[in-house]
Amino acid sequence: MPRGLIYGAVLLAALALIPLALIARARVTTSGVPRIQLIQDMGRQPKFKTQSANPMFADGRAMRPEVPGTVARGELHEDGAYWAGRTPDGWVMAFPVAVTDQLMRRGQERYDIFCAPCHGLAGYGDGPVAKRADALQEGTWTPPSSYHTDLVRQRPVGFIFNTISNGIRNMPAYGPQIPVADRWAIVAYVRALQRSQDARATNVPPELQRQLR
Amino acid sequence: MMRGEQVGSFVFPRWTNVLRPVLAVALVVVPAYVVVLLAYGASPRTTNVGYQPVQPVPYSHALHAGQLGIDCRYCHNTVEVAAHAALPPTQTCMNCHARIRTTSPKLLPVRESYATGLPIPWVRVHDLPDYVYFNHSAHVRRGVGCVECHGRVDTMEVVTQVHRLSMGWCLDCHRHPEPHLRPPDMVTKMDWVPPGDPETYGRQLRQANNINPSTQCWTCHR
Repeated sequence: MPRGLIYGAVLLAALALIPLALIARARVTTSGVPRIQLIQDMGRQPKFKTQSANPMFADGRAMRPEVPGTVARGELHEDGAYWAGRTPDGWVMAFPVAVTDQLMRRGQERYDIFCAPCHGLAGYGDGPVAKRADALQEGTWTPPSSYHTDLVRQRPVGFIFNTISNGIRNMPAYGPQIPVADRWAIVAYVRALQRSQDARATNVPPELQRQLR
Repeated sequence: MMRGEQVGSFVFPRWTNVLRPVLAVALVVVPAYVVVLLAYGASPRTTNVGYQPVQPVPYSHALHAGQLGIDCRYCHNTVEVAAHAALPPTQTCMNCHARIRTTSPKLLPVRESYATGLPIPWVRVHDLPDYVYFNHSAHVRRGVGCVECHGRVDTMEVVTQVHRLSMGWCLDCHRHPEPHLRPPDMVTKMDWVPPGDPETYGRQLRQANNINPSTQCWTCHR
């Protein structure tokens, strides 16, 4: 058998191992390159999906922001008490929504998501983000308020709603992040937190008071 | 040897006899090689898993979602009501970073975006083909945890795709969802483990929450 043929066969066998080695490597390492689609099958269509980019516009967004000075259908928020926590007479004092067990549970869940990082699960202003900001000692941070002061306890519900919606002092506005119904649920839960931390034995229903001992 | 025999006739050299068994072996080995190459090379486990693009800001989910314990929905706040789990607007970053790490060079693109109003060019990691219409809210509200598709994002410094996200992979769960279910209020708890046997517990949840995942084409393709 000619030498060349044997060498060729050995070389071919060695080369055939390279793709297998590449596959093995691809399976154990990460890659910054998007996957190669061998069969395209309309996997990438010339359409714009949510939050995708469109170079046609100067800001590169496919989703267009609202035109200033316009109101989208269904977004004319005329009921000031519900949408702003405020009436021409001042802050709303009573909840413009029915305070139910369901609302309270929703409020707790939303509070834990959006408020607890700074204000803490019980509302003392000791959330993990506030603690870390304190530990960094950068001088740009103002600790969040505790809800358990006379000042905050006496705030009207409309005021607290407005604080969530538009922010106050160093707290940013959470209106864009939390839907209105959820903001009222959070206000209800904040009220519950305040009562829970400022309760006396006499606040407990008489039939349950014996269990406290 | 006669002269005539050497002209006009070719005699295969003796070593060519070896080619017959070699060819027989090659007929088996080469197709097997091609099959293995395609099966592993084109498998979603090879092509999809491990995608880890470089992001414009070295945002660490391990710090924010893991160490600080911020709920996934603080930033991805549309996930329960929309098909798309929104990337947060720069405003959400600035909720905290207007006051924390205000001079960090890593956060420069965030501050620039906030000042100019131009979006941060985040790179999408989990990107399905355009003919797939996945709906986040449908899954999250029925108790399929974030971790089921995205892995332990709360331990990732840089987000990496850890699951195949291929059609076969989707169908595995649609045909047998039990081990992937949890109470809907636990969807964002990355380290949640089912009490007791996942199979039994999943069956209870499936019954209680009336979960009947469809395996029809039109469920995901339109």
